This record gives sequence, C-alpha cells and structure tokens, in this order.
Amino acid sequence: MARRQRDVLSVEWVKLELLRTAYATRGGLFAGFDPRVVVGWYAVFAVAPWLTHNITVLAALFAVAAVAVALCRVGPLVLGLFAFGLVTETAYLFAVAWFFDGDLHTVAALVTLSLKLGVVALASMAAFVSLDPEKLSDALVSMKAPPLLSFGVSYGYRMLPIIMDEFHTIVDGHRLRSAPLERRGILAWRVPVHIGSTLVRSFYPMMLNTAKRTRTTVEALETRGFTFAGESAKGRDIRLAYLRLRMRDLALALVTVVLIAGAFIIGELAPVFARDF
Amino acid sequence: MDDVIAIDGLAFRYPGAAEPTLKGVDLRIRRGDFTAVIGGNGSGKTTLCKAFNGLVPHFWSGEFEGRVDVDGIDTLDATVAALSHRVGYVYQDFGNQLVRPSVRDDVAFGPVNFGLADHRERSEAAMRLLGIDHLAKRYVWELSGGQQHLTALAGVLAMDPAVIVVDEPVAELDPARAEETYRMLKRVNEERGTTIVVIEHHAEFIARYARSVVLMSDGRVRWHLPVREALARRAELAVHGIPAPQIIAAAAELTPGAPVPLTVAEAAQCIRDAGLAPGPRPPQPEAPAPGPVIARLTGVTHGYKDVRGKVSTVLDAVDLAFREGERIALVGSNGAGKSTLLRLLTGLNVPRKGTVEVDGTDTRTVKPARLADRVCYLYQHPEQMFLNDSVRQEIAMFPEQRRRPDAAAVVDDVLERLRLTDFADRDGRTLSGGQQRRTTLGIGLAMAPALLLLDEPTASLDTATRNDVIAMLAALAERIRCVVVATHDMQLVAEWATRVLVLGEARVLADTTPAGLFDDAALCERVNLVPPQINVLGRELGIHPPPLSVAEFTAAFAPALAGGR
Amino acid sequence: MTETAPSRARRVLPDPQSLTSSQKLMVFVLSMTLFGLANIFTEVIPEFKLGPVELSVAYLAFVPVVMVCLFHPLYAALGAPLGEIVFVDLLMGDFSGIGEVEGYLQLSLGLYVGGSLVRDPRRRWQVATAAIVAVLIDKGVGGIIDMSKVVVGVEDAEYVEGLPESVLVIEGFAFASDLLITGVLFGAIPAAYLARRLHGKIEPLMGMAPRDAEHPVPGRARQTAAFVSLAVFLMLASGVFAFLEAADVKFGVWEPGFIDRYGLGFLWVSVAVCAVVLIGVVVSAKALRRRARSED
Repeated sequence: MARRQRDVLSVEWVKLELLRTAYATRGGLFAGFDPRVVVGWYAVFAVAPWLTHNITVLAALFAVAAVAVALCRVGPLVLGLFAFGLVTETAYLFAVAWFFDGDLHTVAALVTLSLKLGVVALASMAAFVSLDPEKLSDALVSMKAPPLLSFGVSYGYRMLPIIMDEFHTIVDGHRLRSAPLERRGILAWRVPVHIGSTLVRSFYPMMLNTAKRTRTTVEALETRGFTFAGESAKGRDIRLAYLRLRMRDLALALVTVVLIAGAFIIGELAPVFARDF
Repeated sequence: MDDVIAIDGLAFRYPGAAEPTLKGVDLRIRRGDFTAVIGGNGSGKTTLCKAFNGLVPHFWSGEFEGRVDVDGIDTLDATVAALSHRVGYVYQDFGNQLVRPSVRDDVAFGPVNFGLADHRERSEAAMRLLGIDHLAKRYVWELSGGQQHLTALAGVLAMDPAVIVVDEPVAELDPARAEETYRMLKRVNEERGTTIVVIEHHAEFIARYARSVVLMSDGRVRWHLPVREALARRAELAVHGIPAPQIIAAAAELTPGAPVPLTVAEAAQCIRDAGLAPGPRPPQPEAPAPGPVIARLTGVTHGYKDVRGKVSTVLDAVDLAFREGERIALVGSNGAGKSTLLRLLTGLNVPRKGTVEVDGTDTRTVKPARLADRVCYLYQHPEQMFLNDSVRQEIAMFPEQRRRPDAAAVVDDVLERLRLTDFADRDGRTLSGGQQRRTTLGIGLAMAPALLLLDEPTASLDTATRNDVIAMLAALAERIRCVVVATHDMQLVAEWATRVLVLGEARVLADTTPAGLFDDAALCERVNLVPPQINVLGRELGIHPPPLSVAEFTAAFAPALAGGR
Repeated sequence: MTETAPSRARRVLPDPQSLTSSQKLMVFVLSMTLFGLANIFTEVIPEFKLGPVELSVAYLAFVPVVMVCLFHPLYAALGAPLGEIVFVDLLMGDFSGIGEVEGYLQLSLGLYVGGSLVRDPRRRWQVATAAIVAVLIDKGVGGIIDMSKVVVGVEDAEYVEGLPESVLVIEGFAFASDLLITGVLFGAIPAAYLARRLHGKIEPLMGMAPRDAEHPVPGRARQTAAFVSLAVFLMLASGVFAFLEAADVKFGVWEPGFIDRYGLGFLWVSVAVCAVVLIGVVVSAKALRRRARSED
C-alpha cells in the first residue's frame, strides 16, 4: 500500500491537534473574562450535578455545558476522545445491565452517574480549553495556590511543543536504526510489544536530555528571582495587578446562576428519576 | 580604580572532583569593557563566568577560596538573587533559560519577580533596544534560534545589570544570526555602558567586536590583553584550539610583521599598502563528469499544516537529481525547506505531490525503516541521536540490529577511522562537541548508506573542531556515494561542497558551485548568506573568481610575491 | 573596603549529599516534565473495553518510579502527578476538579513510599518492588474508594439487583488489570531496566551525587515520626477529597435526609480504608527501621 501525506489520524496530526488544543483554540467563549470568574463558573458546574438525582436537571445541565463547549471551539481530537469515552461508557452500561440480568433501572441508575461525570467533563473542557493557561495560573496564584503550581502550569505550557518534538525525533531515530518488525505474530501480538518497548527505550535519552535542560532552567530561575519572588509578595502583586472584575464578569456569573436555576426549575416541572421515591 | 570585576586568588573545586576547576585566578575587568574569554574545553571558562553571578559557590556548592568582587560586592556575602541585579547570564543553551510562554512575559519575568514597579518600562526598553519589540506577543517556541537568543538577552537586560555574560553565542546560532547578536551586544555596550563578557571560540567575532581577550588554560588566567595584541599571538591561540581568522592568517603570509588586521577593510588596506596585487588565477580544474543518479525528486510539492490550521507550502514543484560522487550543500534561510527536503529523502515524510526516488525506489512504496538501509539522516543535535549507553553501542546499533554479517569488524573500523576508539565505552553525552559530532558521523558511516544526509554538521563546534569535521566529511567520499549537507556554515560550503543548491521561496533558486554562489553577491544578499571572510577579501582586491580558501588566496599573490622579492 | 578581612577566605560548602533548595526544584521540575510527557501518550492511547472487561494503560508508571528511585523521593513524588495535571488535564482541558486532588495525593503517596523503599537503585528487585508498591497504593486506595463511591454514591445501590456485586467484580478486575499492565508491564519491568541504566549517568548532569546503598538520600526518611504523620495526613486528605466528590454529601442542604438514608456508615468506609493503609505503612516502616538498625 502506497503511503501518503495524511492530514488526519497520523502522528503529525495528533501532535498538531494537541498543540492546537493547547495554543490556537484559545480565545473562545471564556478568553475575555476574569480567570477567577471562569474557575468559579467551572466550580459551579462541577458541584451542581452532585446535588440532584433528577435526570431532567442533569440533562439540562449537560446541554448547557455542551453549548459552552461548542462556543469554546474545542478541537476535534479532544472532542473525539470525549465522545469515544462517552460511547464506550454507554456500551459498558448496557453490557453491565445485560451481564447481571439487571433491568432498565440499573441502566438508569448508572446513566445518572454518567451524566454527572459528563457535565463535569464538558464544563472542564469549556473552561480550561478556552482559558489561557497563563491566566489560569495567575488565578491559581491569586487563590493562594503554591507558587510551584503556577510555575508548573506556565512552564509546561512553554515546554510542551519542544519536548514533544524532541521525543518524536528520538522515536524516529529508533524506527530508523533498529530492525523493523519481520513478523507480526499471532493476533499481531508483536506489534504492541514492539511499540511498547520502543516507547520505554525512547525515554532513556529523553530523561537524560531533559535532565540537562532542567539544570539550565533551574539555574536561570534562580538568577531571575524565582525563589526570591516566592518569599516576597511584591512580585505577586505586580503579576496579579491586571486581574479586575468587570461588568461582563458579573454578567457571566448572573447568566450562570439563571441557567442553573432554570435547569432545576425544569427538573421540578418534569422530574425523571432512576427510581421512584 | 573602576574595575567592575575584581578577582583575587579564586580557586574552586566541585564536590567529588579530583582536581580543582579553578586554581588561583586573578583578573580585573574594567567597567564598560567588551571582553572575550577564550580557552580550550575544561579550561574553566564557564566556571569562572558562573563565579561572577554567584552561581559558584551559592548554587553549585564546592570548595571555594579567594575573593570575587562584582560591582563592588563580595559575591560570597551576597545572594544569587541580589547579584542578579548586577550580573546577567545568557547560557549556551539559551532556549532552556526561557521559562514563560510568551516573549513579553519572559522578558518581564526577572523584574516582576523582584517586584520592580517599572517592570513594564524596563522590559519594553530592553526589547526595543534589541529590536524584538515586534515579537512581544509570540510564543517562545515559535521563535527561531536567533530570536530566542535575543529574548534571553532581553530578559537579562531588563534587569539593567552592570555586567552581561554571554556563553558561546555562536554555538547554537548560524553565523548571520550570531552577527546580529554581536551587533546588539555592541549596541548595549555603547548605549548603556554595560560591561560585556563573552565566552567565544570564533576569532573572527573576537577580532571585530571585543576590546580585550582573556586566555584561560588549566584553571588559570594565562593573560588578559588588548584584542590586537592577543590576536597577534597566532601560534599560542592555535594551541588552545582557536585558529586565527582567515584574514589574519592571509595577512600574516603576505605582509608578515605588519599590525594585525581586525576587519576585511583593514586587511585589504594592509595588503594594498604593501604594494601587492593579485595575479590571474590559474584555470579551475574541470568538474568530473556526473555519475549515475542516486536520488531524484520529480515535481515534489510539500507543506505542513501549522498550529493555526494554515497549510504552508515549503517546496513547490521541485525537480532535482542527486548523483554519485557529488558533495551537495543545501543553503537558504530558516524555513526555506532544507530540513523538509532531507526528511522527504529519508521517507519519514512523503510528498503531497510528485515522487521521491532513492536508489530507484519510490519512497511511497516502502517504510522508512526499510529505506534506512539506503539513506541515513544525521540530526543537528547529536544528543537526540544518542539512544544507547556508549559510543560503541551507538555505532553498532544499526549493523547489529539489521544483522549485517560483518557488524563487529565494521564497528571497529569506523571507531578507528573517526578516532573514537579511546572513547568507545563512554556515554555520548559526556563527550565534547567535536567528539559527539564524530560519533554521529560514525553512526552514519556504519549504516553504509548510498545517500548520507546531514543537518548542520558543523553547528556549535569551535573552529578547530569544525575544520576537523570538514576534513572527515571529505574522507567519507570513498565510502558513501552521495552526501547532502544542509548548512548555514559558508566555510563548510566553500571548503567541502562541489555543488550548492540554494533554496528559497519554496523552490530551488540556484543550482551552482561554491565559487558561483559567492560570486553572485545579489543572490547571497537575497538569502541572507555571509560569504567567508577570505572570499570577501578576495573580491575586495579584485580576484576573480573569488578564492574559497586561504591557500587559494595566497596562491593568487604568488607571482606578486615572487616578483617583489 | 575593609582589607583587614582575610583576602583568602576559604569556604567549604555542605556535604554534597544534602540537597540544596535549587536541586530539589530541579528534581521536581524534571519529574513533572517527564511524567507530563508520558501522560500525553496515555491520553491518546485508546482503551480496550470489552463489556466490563477493560484493558488500558492508566499511566506510564515507570517514568515517575525511575525518578523516585534515582532522586530525592519526596520531590520527585510531588512533581510527577503535577505533570499529569498540568500537561494533560489543564492544557488539554481534561480537568476533573476535586477528583484531581484525590488522584494527586494517592499517586504522590504511592510514589513516595515506593521510592523510599529503594536503598540501591541498581538492584532490580528493589526498583521493581517500588514500582509495584507505588501502583498498589495508588490504585488500591483509588479502587477501594471508587468501589465505596458507587456503593454509597449511587443512592440506591442496594435497590438495584446485582449492582454491588457487579461493581465489586468490575473494580476487582480493574484493579488486577491495572496492577498487571500499569504496575508490571509499564511499571516494574521498564523501571528496573531504566533505573539501572540511568544510575550514575543522570545525576552528574544535574550536579548531584548518585544515590546508592552507602549514601542513602536524606528525605527517604521513612523511619521518622514526620513521615508517619505525613502519611496520616495524606491518607485522611485523600479520603476526605474522594468522598467530597463522590458521595453527593454536599452540605446536606439540598438533601436533608441523606444521613438518615445512608446513616453515617459510608463515612466510616473511608476512615476504615485510611486506617488499614495507615496501619500497613506504619508496620512496614517499623519493620524497615528494624532492618536498617540491624544493618548498621
């Protein structure tokens, strides 16, 4: 079979999609808001589903979260992974029901749980994909998170493409310089073994190279006052000076409250439960 | 006494090391100086410079003796944080020094951490001074090497230190970018009066930018001299792995005893003053007839999708043939498609349109792992090619894994030829730059490919090692049928290549010889190439075609010298 | 300038075995970056699910296990799970809120205990044991909590015929498969192989002395009261976070009857889990201290 340059479902594509998720899709719904409000928005959606067993309410919350995701321009890879999870989850539910001779009530009970998890997952996708990680880390700092966490977010954001490229280079080196797989074995068992062992071997140079890199980075952090900033509040205040609540942030909070209340009201009007009370 | 750095009897030993790295250093650097620190590997240059900003001994603990005063502060009493207001450090692997995602945030990182109220003005001023203010919003990883270097420098400059130390700026940058960095350092030195200390191997840059030179060897300062005096000690410098710049070598041959020229203009003047004029150049040897085709590109179009979803075309309908016996240099600015072309030849990527054939095989029909029997690609960074524990294992990996019958003999032979036998059991990462490069060449040789592809084989090497690698590349010819090198190093092009392909605007702008390339000033300008100094000097003095090496240059004056004496 | 001070001040900085704060930061950052990278793979590797039977790589356990074996176990253990949160959860938008805290604490604890068990990273069995212990603690605590989560959290577990049993079977199977795939195939085996290869090579790159039997890294302080209290704290915190997320407790206001409905029983489940693990940790710490003493 002739090989060709593929723009989807190739290693390059996955890499690009991850990068797009991390960088280019920013600027969706929540980009313009104060990150603390967005974190609050997320917290509300992360908590609300656990306060009810009413499937109608959960479905309404799910719909709201799904709309938010749509407005946040989440990339196909992340959505695909989510949908894949959802589909397998559903299949799993039915399998469980069938396997243990349960009736529809079993499924309904588990659907409740899946819906709850789904709302949280969608809300996190919407909030964290459209929010610039830098702002997020500032929000964390302003909520008194340890400085290492905020540094970690910022540094991870900066390093991601570089270490992914480096790892790709190393894996390519393995592909080119080791012997290609001659036989695939029964059920192609050799293929995952080959991939797995290449993955493990590739971490050997990766660990050494990253260690070398880290040394310079930490030296630079030291000379550029990272430790100093951990001990004095001045740097923190400067960094957070731009965080200000504005009208639109209040509007977001208001809309969120209205939507959540709406969901619970609809639930009251047309309740559906996994079991009868 | 306005010495910004004053060191008395500094000795330092890393924990666990048998020998001290610094053994009694005494040094004074005047405020506002532009100093180059030179010396071979292991001479203690980097340790010395890390003593300036207190990393030695506060970050790297060890036995510390003596006294280091920087800008009037004893480093032993001060913290690294306090010293960072006075000394800035730009690392050799400067990319790892950038810790924030965007350029503006990174430049402001220091001032914000130290809680300086004018952090915005400081970082804007630093970026403006270095001419990178238009990059402020870009992500750090999107930048080219040169831009990253300037960002690192701006981050240091924003602290407005009294001293800036730059560790081997040329190592990771191509010569045109390094030139840019030096121009900026000069500007900082002149406009702000900041003392600049560079660790540097390239005598050309020292000649043009530094005002004084410190020679380190064996943990001591040998001497600290004004630049002209320092460069006059050609023999001593060569012993420490720093061959004189081409123009100084040429001038020394033609006008011995005259003061050392620091620039091409000075050298030309010096030779004219001596009343020497070039004779006609002997006819160039005929190029050998081209051999059979090893690799062929037909109508190749390729491009990538970038992070913002746009497809950019890097190569557009390119037709090329690589023939046996050719030494091909691919040149062009960053992003001109050099690496893309190499990757297409390895089969790691297949073209969107057109075909790539290697040794008669269409790359679409086989896996890259199979194609590796015929093509070998050596990456720019040797560390990314070190997958095993020792040099021997690196070289043996391919022949042993592929069960080549004479694997053991091949490995021994390669080790011997590349003078690697002594390091065969060391880890590649612990070797010097030149040894690392030789190891990657060894990996390529042991694969015995028909087509060898190299990405920047002379990058980050000092001049002496670079010449060594160029000589080794020349010796590869008998083993490998065709070698293609992607490079920014014009001296490599001049001394090694037989054919030059200039890439730009998604196509082949020129398919010529080194002499042809350097003769075409407009083309060099267009793709941002800096011809070797000797070539520029030759052109300046009216030698046509301009010489590619010092030997060719002096040969042109043979009649004049013979007649004159 | 006072020239009376001896111009040849001599200073020997402390024992290289004790880590400076920047070296701790280095270990932390390295561990974070590498495990973050490793998690990007597990994020895109699809899971094989056949009905209730699930085969998946939870994470590449060997990466953080190698880190805790070679370096200071505490800082490596704290850094690694943060890498997962930063690279995958935050950058890819897959953050699951409070549950992340639970996961973070479980994995940190597992890695720390695992890493502290290692005396000499060159010994394969020690490293392999560390890997298995790390996954055992992480997945074991996680599994027990998950199980009780469903039993208690789905309001009507006992109402649904066969659900508790099915959950038990599924969780049990998941635990076994995690232990085999994550703990052994992508944990113990590669970690034992890599730790031996990296030992003595990676430390000098970061300016540290390698860890071996004669020079145990300080902070591997499993014998001290501080460690035991840390373990207690992590256990309790982990349990509390898990149940906050799981049990729909949420402040009682919305469902005032919930305590009546379940009793306080399910809270005791978490306490019991914590107690069991804690006792295990204390007992093994004591045993190890005895062994260490007898070796001295």
